[in-house]
Amino acid sequence: MRDGLRFQKGDILAIGLVLVLAVFAFCLFLPENEKGTRVEIYRDGVLAESLPLWEEREITLEGDYTSVITLRDGRVAVTSSDCPGEDCVASGWIDRAGRSIVCLPNGVEVRVVGDSDVDFVVG
Amino acid sequence: MSKAKQIALCAVMVALALVLSYTERFIPLQMLVPLPGVKLGLANIVTLVALYRLSPKHAFLILVPRCILGAAFGGGLTGLLFSLVGGLLALGVMTIAKGIKFFSVYGVSILGAAAHNLGQILTSMVLMQSVYVGAYLPYFLAVAIFTGFATGAACGGILRVLQGVKL
Repeated sequence: MRDGLRFQKGDILAIGLVLVLAVFAFCLFLPENEKGTRVEIYRDGVLAESLPLWEEREITLEGDYTSVITLRDGRVAVTSSDCPGEDCVASGWIDRAGRSIVCLPNGVEVRVVGDSDVDFVVG
Repeated sequence: MSKAKQIALCAVMVALALVLSYTERFIPLQMLVPLPGVKLGLANIVTLVALYRLSPKHAFLILVPRCILGAAFGGGLTGLLFSLVGGLLALGVMTIAKGIKFFSVYGVSILGAAAHNLGQILTSMVLMQSVYVGAYLPYFLAVAIFTGFATGAACGGILRVLQGVKL
């Protein structure tokens, strides 16, 4: 019975469409498999700090919430934050160029960049 | 349907959507899929049912108060922007997809979930003023296939039960 309330063949097309879009988006944002050299910290889209990835440092950012960014062993992570959800902390450690950790509630983006990176920011 | 009944029905569905979006915070989907802010999108079931049994206009009138109240109960202004952009884009896509006989409620729901996630990524790109956030897009689209299927199945079940019920 085809009443539009049960899975039907056409729905495979919907799945296919979303998959194609996902693959397209994946290719568009293909992560460069190159180790990053610098860390850039953005606050509300504005570059606040730029430091070499090999530094050993802990940076505390005070905003709407307090986030602690840790640089250690050539990697960077948001190690603690009192923002709701703590998605930034859950993102873990990153060290590849082009990868970033985002904390939306606090308006913070921690981005790893490489030497060959062309830095482009919209807005 | 009388005006009073329409208002009452929409109000009940707003309440239902709010409870669903509150409840889903306790489902630890993030443990399974480690993506920031990943959700099942249970409130979309209400939008879908409204779209099928009422009209796109009614679905809109349920969606907007739901987003505003959801922001008031927690989520804040950024939360409002996220749910509104995602929700409206999803409603638009689902309205179009529903018109295509090819798709059952499953297909409509999957496309809606994908549109919702796309809207949220676009919002965060604008808010963060960064295109890098877009790197999450493929993963969120892939997740939308599963969450959209799940909410589509729930909605299909509800609509089948409601088939004999006169609203």
